[in-house]
Amino acid sequence: MSMRWCSSTQTKNLERWTLSWRTASKVLRNALLRTGFTWHFSKQSFLLSILMAHRLLVRRFWTLSSKDLRCLPVSSSFSTSLQSSRVPVLSRSRSRSLALASLRQAASFNIQDHDDFDVRVIKSELPVLVDFHAQWCGPCKILGPRLEKAVAKQNGKVTMAKVDIDDHTDLAIEYGVSAVPTVIAIRGGDVIDHFVGIKDDDELESFVSKIIGK
Amino acid sequence: MPPIENDTGKNDLKSQIQLLIDSNQVMVFSKSYCPYCVKVKDLFKELKLEFNAMELDLIEDGTNYQDMLLEMTGQKSVPNVFINKTHVGGCDNTLQAHKDGSLQQLLCAETEAYDYDLIVIGGGSGGLACSKEAAALGKKAMVLDYVVPTPKGTTWGLGGTCVNVGCIPKKLMHQTAMLGTAIQDARKFGWEIDEKGEASEQQRPRRSRRGDIGPVCRVKHNWDTMKDAVSNYIGSLNWGYRVALRDKNVNYVNAYAEFIEPHKVKATNKRGKETFYTAEKFIIATGERPRYLGIPGDKEFCITSDDLFSLPHCPGKTLVIGASYVALECGGFLAGLGLDVTVMVRSILLRGFDQEMANRAGEHMEEHGVKFLRKYVPIKVEELEAGSPGRLKVTAKSTESDEVIEGEYNTVLIAVGRDACTDKIGLDKTGVKVNPKTGKVPVSDEEQTNVPHIYAVGDILEGKWELTPVAIQAGRLLARRLYGGGKLKCDYINVPTTVFTPLEYGCCGLSEDRAIELYGQENLEVFHSLFWPLEFTVPNRDNNKCYAKIICNKLDNDRVIGFHYLGPNAGEVTQGFGTAMKCGATKEQLDNTIGIHPTCAEIFTTLEVTKSSGGEITASGC
Repeated sequence: MSMRWCSSTQTKNLERWTLSWRTASKVLRNALLRTGFTWHFSKQSFLLSILMAHRLLVRRFWTLSSKDLRCLPVSSSFSTSLQSSRVPVLSRSRSRSLALASLRQAASFNIQDHDDFDVRVIKSELPVLVDFHAQWCGPCKILGPRLEKAVAKQNGKVTMAKVDIDDHTDLAIEYGVSAVPTVIAIRGGDVIDHFVGIKDDDELESFVSKIIGK
Repeated sequence: MPPIENDTGKNDLKSQIQLLIDSNQVMVFSKSYCPYCVKVKDLFKELKLEFNAMELDLIEDGTNYQDMLLEMTGQKSVPNVFINKTHVGGCDNTLQAHKDGSLQQLLCAETEAYDYDLIVIGGGSGGLACSKEAAALGKKAMVLDYVVPTPKGTTWGLGGTCVNVGCIPKKLMHQTAMLGTAIQDARKFGWEIDEKGEASEQQRPRRSRRGDIGPVCRVKHNWDTMKDAVSNYIGSLNWGYRVALRDKNVNYVNAYAEFIEPHKVKATNKRGKETFYTAEKFIIATGERPRYLGIPGDKEFCITSDDLFSLPHCPGKTLVIGASYVALECGGFLAGLGLDVTVMVRSILLRGFDQEMANRAGEHMEEHGVKFLRKYVPIKVEELEAGSPGRLKVTAKSTESDEVIEGEYNTVLIAVGRDACTDKIGLDKTGVKVNPKTGKVPVSDEEQTNVPHIYAVGDILEGKWELTPVAIQAGRLLARRLYGGGKLKCDYINVPTTVFTPLEYGCCGLSEDRAIELYGQENLEVFHSLFWPLEFTVPNRDNNKCYAKIICNKLDNDRVIGFHYLGPNAGEVTQGFGTAMKCGATKEQLDNTIGIHPTCAEIFTTLEVTKSSGGEITASGC
């Protein structure tokens, strides 16, 4: 029973993938039906559907609050790939070393609440990997550090948001998480890819590379 | 009852009547013999409408009701019909309203106005099962669930008692204890265990069955490891329940629900934010919480089963107060972890269970080092030293004399029973009747309370089993009857269950005590036997401690009306015999069943000695 909610070893992944695939697709179908989409069950359309569903979901939760004006992660302002004018904030007079330290720190962060998610994930200029994890999930404890390492290797081209599903149940429920670990990739507020269960370093690296479009 | 003269009485009666009108979609004030009333009631039955009929000739103060109705509606005659709080009138008015469609209008008006078809209060086994089934049948369902923290501050997730602070952690910790026994046994089977390690301080040498202290097997148990593993598993279950609700389209809100009107609840979340929801029907499934003693120091210093399973430290030397199954199970597994455990018993063990079996289970615990303080009740608990765990002093007095005793423990666990959570959910606003002594809710055989649109399932039901599978079955069947055209009612007879004492006790049907009360000793035949499980023989423990007993009704073909088993894997053994009893198994059929050898359960296919014969029941070979 527990394993259903907690994807573990790779060897048994096939069975679990099927299971989580089924659950995930069911959730999506429900979400889509609610928003008036028809459902065609195929893997090809899955990605498209997930995109559309989440765009809709995201729009629904897109609210402008005073918190939106809060500064973005410091790292952004020094990221070479970033051209945004919306990222100012850090005084140029501060030393570069401090900024670099922050850069490393900000590559992955814990989501504090729904607004925080909005600012640091949905409105992020960079692609973000969202790691839905739980305290009680063994495989999450293996995947988390691996993913963190893979993200750090990209030198600020991608960030990683960690969401504890028990602290932020609504977020997990909203994004259709059924089993943990679930990792979704978000760019420009849209879900562009996802996986459930554990992956090794190489697989993670190629997943991350794909996200940043290498 | 005399006519009411004073105003207070009149106002009381008026509000009683108003409550009936407000809380019933269709309310009929009627007289049982009146043909017009029958006609109206038949109409509602035909329309498959739920209605509440109050037969004024069958209640004591019927005339007062009639007088008050005259005052309220200008109509004295019966039937006096109300639909959705609107006064319709008598028989002719109602039939006319049915003809011209205004009756339907009245009925629809209200139904569409509710936020939900069904609101379930309580996210335990019964509530979840019922809400999911209702949603699967196309209804808009909501679950409101909130765990009020214990005095110690313990709280938990979705799923109710069984998942968080009951069956699940209990059995996992029982399993932990049994593994301890298995390690002891393993040596006799040839496993060589490194004995260089140190036993932890809080653990004492185990006593052998003769009471002498045997060689200590120096294996240590780590409370934190067990507690974390159990908590993690429960965490995954909580999440699983949450996902299941989402997948089944049940709206879940983590908030404390309280009725403020018969069809409206106030839900308060942990930040104190209040939201209001209305529903056509409600199911109360709020369950029970442990009872405290009401003595100085109980809430400050003692814990209950609500705290034990997630206790951040090993409880150490423990006093268990009470002899409920919760008390014996917790005391049992704590002793099995190697802790010093004392159980304080006011009168008998396992009230309501077969007393012979209860005492045998208790004796086995005693032989394995659990101390029993019989016929004492605690009068105060004081803290000698704070800590994890600290030191507590318990003062108790004898139930038979003036003797007062004192004892020092690290942890005091209260397990003296549980109270239904029905007193703080605004039931007075709905008119739902609650037993004032026990807080339990009496329901019909269809789990309906006295207020027709409010139902109840689970542990809060009066005179029903407090068991998870019973609540699940009742909840599921209730939803099917309400929304799926189902007819099946929950069968509360011959429910199998198991108490996970160190030597497990499984039973189904009547206890011997109750069977004698119901049928008389002369009409019963009791077959019984001691047995020695094969797996106990090599380690040479617990010889002739396990016991099997069936109670047969001589007046009914020796049908088995009580099944009792004390031995390993009692749950697994009892489950199948539960089915047999549902099928009406007789002694002859058990005799004609081929046993599986070598097992414990096979004893039931070869029971020969009757209790009345006084024959020898100690086991002997194959």
